[in-house]
Amino acid sequence: MQIGIPGALLYQYYISFWRPFFEELGFQVVISGNTNKELVNRGVKVSVPELCVPVKIFIGHVFELLDKGVDFVFIPRMEAIRRGEFFCPKFMGLPAIMKYGVPGVKGKLLTCQINARSDDISNYKHYLPLLDKLDLSIKELKKAAAFSGEKWKRFRTINKMGYMSCEANKMVVEGVSGKELLPKENNNHIKLGLLGYVYNIYDDFVNMGITGKLNQMGIDFITFDMYEEELLDQYVAQLSKPLFWTFTNKLLGAGYQMLQKKLVDGIIHITAFGCGPDAFLGRLLELESDRAKIPYMLIRIDEHTGENHLQTRVEAFIDMLKRRKSKIS
Amino acid sequence: MLSEVYVGIDVGSVSTNIAAIGSDQKIVFTYYTRTNGQPLVAIKKGLYRLKDELGDDTTIAGVGTTGSGRQLAGVMVGADIVKNEITAHAVATTNIKPDVRTIFEIGGQDSKLILVKDGMVVDFAMNTVCAAGTGSFLDHQAERLGLPIDRFGEMALKSKTNVQIAGRCTVFAESDMIAKQQYGFSKADIIMGLCRALVRNFINNLGRGKMLQPPFVFQGGVAANTGIKAAFEEELKQTVTVPDYFDVMGAIGAAILAWEEVEQKGCSSFRGLDSLKTDFTPSSFICEGCANMCEVIKVEANEVTIAVWGDRCGKWKENIKQVKLKEII
Repeated sequence: MQIGIPGALLYQYYISFWRPFFEELGFQVVISGNTNKELVNRGVKVSVPELCVPVKIFIGHVFELLDKGVDFVFIPRMEAIRRGEFFCPKFMGLPAIMKYGVPGVKGKLLTCQINARSDDISNYKHYLPLLDKLDLSIKELKKAAAFSGEKWKRFRTINKMGYMSCEANKMVVEGVSGKELLPKENNNHIKLGLLGYVYNIYDDFVNMGITGKLNQMGIDFITFDMYEEELLDQYVAQLSKPLFWTFTNKLLGAGYQMLQKKLVDGIIHITAFGCGPDAFLGRLLELESDRAKIPYMLIRIDEHTGENHLQTRVEAFIDMLKRRKSKIS
Repeated sequence: MLSEVYVGIDVGSVSTNIAAIGSDQKIVFTYYTRTNGQPLVAIKKGLYRLKDELGDDTTIAGVGTTGSGRQLAGVMVGADIVKNEITAHAVATTNIKPDVRTIFEIGGQDSKLILVKDGMVVDFAMNTVCAAGTGSFLDHQAERLGLPIDRFGEMALKSKTNVQIAGRCTVFAESDMIAKQQYGFSKADIIMGLCRALVRNFINNLGRGKMLQPPFVFQGGVAANTGIKAAFEEELKQTVTVPDYFDVMGAIGAAILAWEEVEQKGCSSFRGLDSLKTDFTPSSFICEGCANMCEVIKVEANEVTIAVWGDRCGKWKENIKQVKLKEII
């Protein structure tokens, strides 16, 4: 039996758990390919205007899995991974949006509810609703959850050593444990904070390959997922009340830490058109960057963004940082 | 007398500008023309004009390009440096007015706000997706009112009554303008109202709460419009300077950058004025190699492809044979 996992939204954060989980249970896991124009267009076509670009892209990935003829598409309802915080409502409504809004999903939806206390979502109890549909025993479920939980922890260990999520996921598949690995060396002149959700910074289609562009320009960068969760929480605690949305808090914590410790020469924040939580995050980061006197640039991307516009802005920003740095030193 | 000049070429969506500076960084030549969708023709014309004006004793010791057509222009002339508009504008302005703190640049299709401190860019904002605050907007309205754009400013200054026009969006501005015309306001009042709307829109969209410090410099094609300058001064309650060469500042910046670059590397890659005789044929096609369907732009000289861009994967870029251009031409 084939279970499809869309390569979008939280894919880069949790695939090292979900893939081994279903494989351990004896299923074949099918993952949709990279985002491309046709896929985006298909997603946009069936979407209502209220949906943000990443969700539209997610729909495109679901279509691709349906084309591949999978038996089920796994779309969990991501509710919370912190006490008192939540996912953006679009994540909480995702299975329903897909079931009723996307033709062909209804009979193939495989879903469960993730309401965890930490980023670790490997507690088998979250996955109990899968038992009947997949004809599994609790024992099998427990074993698979424990096994893949370890894989996911390995992913996080590598991720936190300064490797991007996409790199770390690959290493886990290749069997790298993380113990033999050295933290990624950064020795370039300019260091940047690259802030954005995993589905924005690691989707080369939507951000027009910004990570590759930065590498080419010889720029080091750090992302929020390279941080220890506890460290991010400490910085979020500076707010009199945290934001409602977990990953928005994570970005905020990472941004605050970079700015307050003066770890970076500048911050580029990538946001998708139509992102509600980022309306708050962007402003908070902007204010903090003023206080720290470290430049901050917001890049808003949508399905029609031209590459020239992005290239010009990134180049100009890097030029500014370089000229600034050479003048100071 | 034999002399050397450094040339900057700014290929924008609406105008193509060329400037030349001597080795003492004094401006010896400027040229402003409408691109009319044919940047290659515009560049050729400009460079021949330069040759005519400066005479045979002058040699071009370096070339820089900027603007949205900078890549194509760079390939065509063999530029020493290809730089984004932000950097080019800032370099030119700080050269002419070293103590500048805020630069407003309004061009045909985009507008920029550049904040400078101690001669360095510390922050910038660009308006790229919405034309509401740009020259195209004014062009369009001038046409509607049956008034040549070069008389717009002069007319605006005759205004006696303050007419409020919604400047958030061209579409709304237009319907608002029609309404105000029907109420019987004079053309002058309506034009001044438009200028104020554009400035308000610029400051709201790009300024976004940033501290705008004097001295202010206003440049770009729209700076020819005295009405907009007046509206800026009214809004900021400060003097706003329009530099002598306000319409070719990007080109001046590119020329200065070319001079810096040639100083550093010791020689220029400029291909000589004779190379302009070669026909450069840009064309575009949709690559059908994958679902991305990139619009690939290629430039041919004597039927040999010399430059390609627009392909996300880079497969067309890689295909270009590294032939020496001199051999083709």
